[in-house]
Amino acid sequence: MASRFWTQGDSDSEEEEVSDYGDEGADERVGGGESAGALAGNRYLQGNASDSDDSDGQRRVVRSAKDKRFEEMSATVDQMKNAMKINDWVSLQEHFDKMNKQLEKVIRVTESDKVPNLYIKALVMLEDFLAQAMANKEAKKKMSSSNAKALNSMKQKLKKNNKQFEDLINKYREKPESDEGEVEEDDDDDDGSGSDVAEDPNAIMSDLEDESSDGEGAEGDNQLGGGGDWQKQMSRKDKLMDKQFMKDPSEITWDIVDKKLKEIVAARGRKGTGRVEQVEQLTFLTRVAKTPAQKLQVLFNVVSAQFDVNPSLSGHMPISVWKKCIDNMLMVLDILEQHPNIVVDDSAEPEENETQKGADYKGIIHVWGNMASFLERIDVEFFKSLQCIDPHTKEYVERLRDEPLFFVLAQNVQNYLERIRDFKAAAKVALRRVELVYYKPQEVYDALRNMVEQDGATGGQSGDADSDEPQLVEESRGRPPFVVTPELVPRKPTFPENSRTLMDILVSLIYKHGDERTKARAMLCDIYHHAILDEFSTARDLLLMSHLQDGVQLMDISTQILFNRAMAQLGLCAFRVSLITEAHGCLSELYSGGRVKELLAQGVSQSRYHEKTPEQEKLERRRQMPYHMHINLELLEAVHLICAMLLEVPNMAANTHDAKRKVISKTFRRLLEVSERQTFVGPPENVRDHVMAATRALSKGDCQKTFDVVSSLDIWKLLRNRESVLEMLKCKIKEEGLRTYLFTYSSCYDSLSLDQLTAMFDLSEANVHSIVSKMMITEELHASWDQPTRCIIFHNVEHTRLQALAFQLTEKLSVLADTNERAFEAKTGGGLDGLPRRREGQEYSGAAAGRWQENFVPQGRLGGGGGGGGGGGYGSRVGGRTSASGQAMGGGFSRDWAGQGQRGSTGYSAGYQSNRYQDTRGGVGRTPYQTGSSVRGSQMEGGSGRMVTLNRPGRI
Amino acid sequence: MVDRRVEVVGRLKSLEESAAPLISFLQNASLVQELRPDKQYNLQMLNDRFQIGPDQIEALYQYAKFQFECGNYSGAADYLYQYRALCTNNERSLSALWGKLAAEILMQNWDVALEELNRLKEIIDSKNFVSPLSQLQNRIWLMHWSLFIFFNHENGRNGIIDLFFQDRYMNAIQTNAHHLLRYVATAVVVNKRRRNMLKELIKVIQQEQHSYKDPITEFLECLYVNYDFDGAQRKLRECEDVILNDPFLGKRVEDSSFTTVPLRDEFLENARLFIFETYCRIHQCIDIGMLAEKLDMSYDEAERWIVNLVRNAKLDAKIDSKSGTVIMGPNHLNVYEQIMESTKQLSVRTYMLAKNVSESAPAAQTAR
Repeated sequence: MASRFWTQGDSDSEEEEVSDYGDEGADERVGGGESAGALAGNRYLQGNASDSDDSDGQRRVVRSAKDKRFEEMSATVDQMKNAMKINDWVSLQEHFDKMNKQLEKVIRVTESDKVPNLYIKALVMLEDFLAQAMANKEAKKKMSSSNAKALNSMKQKLKKNNKQFEDLINKYREKPESDEGEVEEDDDDDDGSGSDVAEDPNAIMSDLEDESSDGEGAEGDNQLGGGGDWQKQMSRKDKLMDKQFMKDPSEITWDIVDKKLKEIVAARGRKGTGRVEQVEQLTFLTRVAKTPAQKLQVLFNVVSAQFDVNPSLSGHMPISVWKKCIDNMLMVLDILEQHPNIVVDDSAEPEENETQKGADYKGIIHVWGNMASFLERIDVEFFKSLQCIDPHTKEYVERLRDEPLFFVLAQNVQNYLERIRDFKAAAKVALRRVELVYYKPQEVYDALRNMVEQDGATGGQSGDADSDEPQLVEESRGRPPFVVTPELVPRKPTFPENSRTLMDILVSLIYKHGDERTKARAMLCDIYHHAILDEFSTARDLLLMSHLQDGVQLMDISTQILFNRAMAQLGLCAFRVSLITEAHGCLSELYSGGRVKELLAQGVSQSRYHEKTPEQEKLERRRQMPYHMHINLELLEAVHLICAMLLEVPNMAANTHDAKRKVISKTFRRLLEVSERQTFVGPPENVRDHVMAATRALSKGDCQKTFDVVSSLDIWKLLRNRESVLEMLKCKIKEEGLRTYLFTYSSCYDSLSLDQLTAMFDLSEANVHSIVSKMMITEELHASWDQPTRCIIFHNVEHTRLQALAFQLTEKLSVLADTNERAFEAKTGGGLDGLPRRREGQEYSGAAAGRWQENFVPQGRLGGGGGGGGGGGYGSRVGGRTSASGQAMGGGFSRDWAGQGQRGSTGYSAGYQSNRYQDTRGGVGRTPYQTGSSVRGSQMEGGSGRMVTLNRPGRI
Repeated sequence: MVDRRVEVVGRLKSLEESAAPLISFLQNASLVQELRPDKQYNLQMLNDRFQIGPDQIEALYQYAKFQFECGNYSGAADYLYQYRALCTNNERSLSALWGKLAAEILMQNWDVALEELNRLKEIIDSKNFVSPLSQLQNRIWLMHWSLFIFFNHENGRNGIIDLFFQDRYMNAIQTNAHHLLRYVATAVVVNKRRRNMLKELIKVIQQEQHSYKDPITEFLECLYVNYDFDGAQRKLRECEDVILNDPFLGKRVEDSSFTTVPLRDEFLENARLFIFETYCRIHQCIDIGMLAEKLDMSYDEAERWIVNLVRNAKLDAKIDSKSGTVIMGPNHLNVYEQIMESTKQLSVRTYMLAKNVSESAPAAQTAR
């Protein structure tokens, strides 16, 4: 900042020679100089208070520079007088320009808004002389052409110039000398308000010092280039302009504001335009705007300028600016509330002067702007700031407290949009609100509500009111703005009792009016929220009915992330309500690639195989979820592995002779292999170790130890209903332990009594009976009950090795036949009976705009009816195509993603739905629980089919 | 009341008047003979020769509706039939069809009603609907109305299974009308020949168990999901109440002096059989006394029942009368049979494949 003074000093010395003293100038200097000195000190002490020495020295410089300025000016005025005498308009014009330039400097030096009397006097003189010259037609004719030209242009310039000083000139004309004191008073007043305004900009400026210094340099250019145009003077500093305007409130017309606005807007984005300053200038303009519509227009510009403050994509907007932005938006809403005849739209460019119509104008006034997109932008900035701030600091918490601020804005905007019946945009805004709420369990939601209510109780003193308050005070202390808008819109968000109710309201609005993407996202949020509230069946139905998993790989990445998050939460939910198979179905895909972090956008995972380019990393970083939205990864992993354990251990025990045949969880198998390879097993440390230790215990049939190991994990305290979940887990472990035991040791017994089993596994008799019966029915266990003695009689139909091999052979043969048939069908294109029926289903879903439930044509079921071959073929073809389109869409990384997403989602649809629907080929009387194995088999078949046909695009 | 009557009669008169030309035309059998399948032609002819325009046809519809509301169902049915022959408006024709169905049901003409039902179903399935939602609603309505027919028509029990187990209808049930599951379940239990549907039904019941539950579905769940025979027994007793209190299931038949509920008896009989069958499948040896108790029969009755089953070759078992037990025969297949079973099919499939390949190869060559 100091550099400014030195440059001024330079320019002084140049013009020193022509300086002379004038009486008025001296007077002026005394008054102005003092206030300038004081002011300068105060300002720069704030700016760089560290080196007060410097500023002391500068004050001396300032004073001398000021004197010189006045000398220059009075010299110019003298020269002008001379020129008048000889009627030399050309030189008069030159001098006039020079004087204007000098005026600028004088004002800058004195740091006051007061125009020196000397200048006014000169203007009056000039005006009189001009009038005289114009009246004297003969003299005019006699003038040389260049002289006449100069006269005319002088006339124009003077007219334009004098307009802004009209008031002063009139005053001067009335009482040429006596207005000194009055003006002085004025001065003080203005100073007070001026310094108030200056506070905020300074704060910001210290944030963005480099930027403002950038702008500084450019301004210097501006000044050199700018001639007598008064407007150029103002680009110096907002404060200056402020004062200029303050001077004559009555004089500021709509035109001036409009012109100024256009100028500022035109400068936007140009090199060297200070972004922060632009905001300030515009903020000032809002204060002086003449009509509500104009104020609105200016406010919109302020908001967009505020968005410009942060130039980079990865960084976030300064928080103070963000808050002001919110305030501005609220003000906009106030105006719109007050004047319902003002219409905001971005479709058509409104007429030039539409905003000129005053508050009493009854017709419709169009103002350009798009509330929804502004709101979205604000939300994005909020999100980004949360991404950037270190979550373990206090700052993060503080930032989170700003959430209600945004919430209230969104609520108001939505209300407004609904009022003007723009439901599409309202749905978009509603989605933003949904995305703020959906991840909050009831407790967090209640906390948020309480916070807001407390804020309300203390009269808006704390929390979000912090930013509100000073602004208001300032406004009332400074000049009252031309267009006063009462606070019509509520400044406190209102929350329904229950987060679910809120979600329901918002989501139903979105389903009714939103576009496809909005709806899909809202649906995912809805699913997520249902899952948090342990409503598994509702969440599952929503997911299946909406057919989201079919289309998710075509959506944008952030929606895919949301989908993954919803799936993860659904898995956790299924686990809590003791649906182990479903939980595993939801989670296994997330873990199959070993990049959960990436899929959930909760941190960057390092891949061994390929390096990421910096751009990819940047992109990825931009997608990250803020910390408070994270799903606990340890919990997720524990749940996944425990589910896998509960399913896989009995399964392994059942198929001891060929363990590779039916694999439920490859991830789990791999981990188990790794842990088995270890020579010495230490005490478990992380989640994985715990589950592996539990697995070893379970496969020996030691349920108690299994449960102890699992329950010793400390992540369980994250669960709300910890006791019941652990109870459920214990029960499940016992059941699976029983199954494992029976599988493993059935060959060693001829009979087993029911009592013995109940005692051994501490299960109720009915439960044991039910489990064993199930195993008998599904022919997993070759045994039957002996009712009178309450024993299990084992039939021992162990196959000899030859027989087992023969079975394997037949199975492989049938797989071969299957593959052949599929290949044939693919080649001829016929026989894809799955295809037409599936199309039908899609047509349904496409046509269903109103209700999502309508889409309920479970494709799993259709596909199942169509037969494994056809269904598999078609599904895989879709997969191939989407991955190809993914590649086309974006570079390496997006392809990576598309591939991943596609794999994941086909897996979901296959795995998940098949659990539910696809076991039409099961044996007699099989129940879903027990069909597990057969379904798994068919799933595997489907999987292999996919592998085969995925390669097809390459071959054909 | 009197005012109302006057009003109604007045309305009847006015409607009758406006529809009069068409009605008189329709009552003349010889003229009706001249009508042809071609609707456009008919309209043209009516317009030219009898001055019967769209207004009159519309009036006929209103008149029929009014007749229906007055309780004159046969008249309404006739008029609606005629109206359908003449009307061109799809939507109207649909609602006329609904009216016809309602009239037939109310007249208890089950055969005709069944025909109407099928016609309606075709139209609903033929997908020229405004929105899928209305289609869904229409389907659900259709299913509800069909309950009247299916539980009264002699072949209704097959019909209900056929209709409700179609994918679209099952989806509709799952989406919006869970309570219909009860009727499907009952129909499946009662219908011996459709035993294969049971599996599918159980699956649906399980999926929907969080949103719909009643003793009948719970009974099936106990029996086929949890293998909880005592629970099934308990539920069966509840089922009896449910059936007696259900308007469709608990239809009473007056038989001279005492009333019976045929469906209840059938249901209980079949349900018992289900329990027993399942029980036998997992047991090697069962005490008849216990069995009798479970089946709500006396010891002798139970023994006779089992003997009958064995004699009818439904059950591979022997009774050990000394210890009072039933001993099941070995139920597992021979290993060699299993292998043969699984390979037998392979040759057929391979043969088909080979044939297909050899057929398509020349076709491809000629195409080239």
